[in-house]
Amino acid sequence: MTDQLPLYQLRDLSKTYTRGKESISIFKGLNMDIQHGDFIAIMGPSGSGKTTLLNQLGGIDSPSSGQVVFEGKRIDNLSQGDLAKWRSRNVGFIFQFYNLMPTLSAAQNVELPLLLTGLSGGERKKRVKTALEIVGIADRAGHKPRQLSGGQQQRVAIARAIVADPKILLADEPTGDLDRATADEILGMLQQLNTELGKTIVMVTHDPSAAKYAKRELHLDKGEFVERGKTS
Amino acid sequence: MKQLFAVIGMNVRSIPQRAGMSIATITSVAFMVAVLLGFLAMANGFEKTINGSGSDDVAVFLRGGSQAELNSVLARDDARLIEVAPGIATDENGDPIMSAELYVIVDGIKRASQTEANLPLRGVQQQAVNLRQNFSITAGRMFEPGSAELVVGEGVIREFEGFELGQTIRLGSNTWTVVGTFSTGGSVFDSEIWTDLGVVQNLYQRGSSVQSIRARLTSPEAIEEVRAYVEGEDRLNLDVTSEREYFADSAGGIATLLKWVGWPLSIVMAIGAFAGAWNTMYSSVDSRTREIATLRTIGFSGFTAFMGTLIESLVLALLGGALAILVIYILFNGNSASTLGGGFTQIVFSFQVTMGSVISGLILALAVGFLGGIIPGVRAARVSLLAVHQN
Amino acid sequence: MTEATLIRKGLFRKVLRAILMMVSIAIAFFIFAVLGAVNKAFNAGVDVAAANRLVTVNAINFTVSMPYAYYGRVQGVEGITHVTHANWFGGYFQQPANFVQTFAVDPESYLDVYPELILPPEQREAWLTTRTCLIVGQALATQYGWSVGDRIPLNSNIWQQADGSSAWDFDICGIFTAEDSSVPTNYAMFHYDYFNESLAFARDTIGWMILTTEDVSLNDQVADEIDAMFANSPAETETTTEAAFSQAFIEQLGNINLILTSVIGAAFATILMIVGTTLVLAINERTKEIAVLKTLGFQSGRIFRMILTESFLLSLIGGGIGLGLAAGLVVLIAGAFQSFLPGFGMPLSVVWQAFALMIGFALVTGFFPAFNAMRIRIVEAFGKL
Repeated sequence: MTDQLPLYQLRDLSKTYTRGKESISIFKGLNMDIQHGDFIAIMGPSGSGKTTLLNQLGGIDSPSSGQVVFEGKRIDNLSQGDLAKWRSRNVGFIFQFYNLMPTLSAAQNVELPLLLTGLSGGERKKRVKTALEIVGIADRAGHKPRQLSGGQQQRVAIARAIVADPKILLADEPTGDLDRATADEILGMLQQLNTELGKTIVMVTHDPSAAKYAKRELHLDKGEFVERGKTS
Repeated sequence: MKQLFAVIGMNVRSIPQRAGMSIATITSVAFMVAVLLGFLAMANGFEKTINGSGSDDVAVFLRGGSQAELNSVLARDDARLIEVAPGIATDENGDPIMSAELYVIVDGIKRASQTEANLPLRGVQQQAVNLRQNFSITAGRMFEPGSAELVVGEGVIREFEGFELGQTIRLGSNTWTVVGTFSTGGSVFDSEIWTDLGVVQNLYQRGSSVQSIRARLTSPEAIEEVRAYVEGEDRLNLDVTSEREYFADSAGGIATLLKWVGWPLSIVMAIGAFAGAWNTMYSSVDSRTREIATLRTIGFSGFTAFMGTLIESLVLALLGGALAILVIYILFNGNSASTLGGGFTQIVFSFQVTMGSVISGLILALAVGFLGGIIPGVRAARVSLLAVHQN
Repeated sequence: MTEATLIRKGLFRKVLRAILMMVSIAIAFFIFAVLGAVNKAFNAGVDVAAANRLVTVNAINFTVSMPYAYYGRVQGVEGITHVTHANWFGGYFQQPANFVQTFAVDPESYLDVYPELILPPEQREAWLTTRTCLIVGQALATQYGWSVGDRIPLNSNIWQQADGSSAWDFDICGIFTAEDSSVPTNYAMFHYDYFNESLAFARDTIGWMILTTEDVSLNDQVADEIDAMFANSPAETETTTEAAFSQAFIEQLGNINLILTSVIGAAFATILMIVGTTLVLAINERTKEIAVLKTLGFQSGRIFRMILTESFLLSLIGGGIGLGLAAGLVVLIAGAFQSFLPGFGMPLSVVWQAFALMIGFALVTGFFPAFNAMRIRIVEAFGKL
């Protein structure tokens, strides 16, 4: 059944922040479906609400009104605890500044999400190894983040995002802190995850050349979507 | 030099930004210094009371080997033999200035604990008042020889219940009336109750025996003459000491004990305070890494960064030390307390915050500040210039 | 890796900082345990007091003696099981500085009143029958290296024999121990008769009497009856429980309890400030890391538990080290203190109190950081809208 339903259905989604007496509307009445296996790049100028939208998809922020439906079930009205459980099973996050635990080794960082599963120590080890191999950084498993380059750290972060086999990968400016060549490597890897492993990916970026790796680009401007076909 | 002051100023001005940690350091140093000062104030106060008690020109006669008045027994005949000893001073009438004395330990109720504690009820002869420096009746009058009247030391009034002027009081099966209070200027005798020797002998079945004889010497050196006389007299088996020596021997222990407890305790606490100071200074350097790097980039030396940190640490420690001195001085200086002294009776004394102990406290505080600041200071001096770009 | 790894890594995120905090905590618990042991030893007299044991002293003061005849009269009082008497000897061995706490007692009844003192049967027999026998407590015997069979003189700095000598010769015919290590054994006893008959003065007086009642509920009645019996005589008496008597004696030294409590309070206030503020700071530094954990799906409750566990570890490790050092020190110096602080050792009650304090301390210092961590909002922590 779920195969026929879109992975996400956003319905009339609005987000408003109040700052003092002023209330700022980030977006209003957004509607959007995300299908299984899609790779979407969300673009837009800063302040356009890209990250806020990503936060709604990831269940780390709740909308002011409207619904976020994931596999046919609303997640916007879940409690904090249920949301955390939902995230641990369904979402992999990739951040601009990697957000690795500085005190843990690469392998331990990757293992973190598995602590929330019932997997045995041996099984966890196997999965971590696989994930590190997929992102091509198995040789640095014992290194601390501090001992790794930016590109290497982002690989570890991607391994962490995929290790629990989530249904959606959410990436927020994943190459924002990297040089061009490294950025291309990382984006190539995301593309590979999408095409070869069938991972659904939503990526926020303001870099048009990064967006090119996605299957489709959505432009968020003044709180509204402007869809464009893939240019290349 | 100018850059040093600038950096120190920046450090010190940034203290409020780390209010929590800085207050923690100040308090920890303050508690450490307070513990030291508290114990030293007790020790110094006790010592002052004891040292103020003994005169060089008063000789104390006790039974040979008895060590303390409480253990001593002298016969009436002993007094007669001492009267004619050489070196004993006489008054204008030609009578020797001496007093045969006997004290019975009686129970008084301590105000602080409401429990019974030992007080000396001392029977004295008329000359006793001339054998204590600064003796004065501060209220009421002297007891009448032969009657059950008491004069009470001011220390006893402070620490014990029921000895106010005009009160009648039961000590054992006898009833007494308080007719006067006296002071000897804070010496051990202020912790005593005095009455007529004959009355004590009579009411407490002591016959004609006494415990001690005190006599004024013509000069401090005359004690040797007296000693020679006593040794040459076969009928006397006595120990002769100057009163100052007597008190020094009998009561040095408590002050020493207090110092021996106070110092190690505050040094152990100093280790804790040192850990706290170090921690605070590390946080200080951490939080200002970028600021330090910026200063270094524009040409300030590593040494100024080091000094800035060290002095911040010293300032915090000094504040803690000063706070402790102030609080202890206000709360404790002059406070009255009492403990069991050498005569197995209560000695009332006042806490004394002395200059010496204040200096000791400040030195301990500065030592903590110095040691706590030095390693973080080195770290500050070694901050990488690249830290300028850190966010 | 397990959750324990995460907790350990969090605690030792800055190794030096964690060590410094542990040192502070260790110091406070060291002070607590050592002073707690001292306080316990000071109060040993109160703690080992039997509830049905009473002490009768002269109402003037306990240092003033009373007639021997009182002993016989008190024996007749209803409700008493045993009564004995003792005199303070003021003894020393060879030199006045070698103070030996010695009592002249009635041999048989004294052991009846103090059943916690243990004397082997053949030594007990010798004690009851040998006039010049001295029985010595284990702690005192160890201090002077005395053993059964030794013949020693003890001098008194108070009493004299009729011949003018102040030395009594004794045969050590027994060494007594106690059931419980908190019962002092730092004194010696000998026959009252041997003492009394050789005295030059003050014969036929006793220092104080100790008696046991059939039941605690009879204490007041027995005490009143004894004191009434001697009312309006030259030597009135005052009878109190053994515990009250010991308590009053400790109070004579001053408010030791207040002094010790103040110092311990100062030590704990210090670490509370240092560790409390440092932990809040340390968790603030980790706001973003905690937000990442939450993003990954770690529950708030779990975060709270992890941070609180860190403060528990900190407190238990630091406190444990302090307690261990204190126990080591106390054991090391206990021997030297036996003569004036009998029963000085690390009491189990202090150890338990220390553990209770560690838990309390961990809760106090850990609660706010853990609560703050639990309430961290992911979106705010990442500083983006």
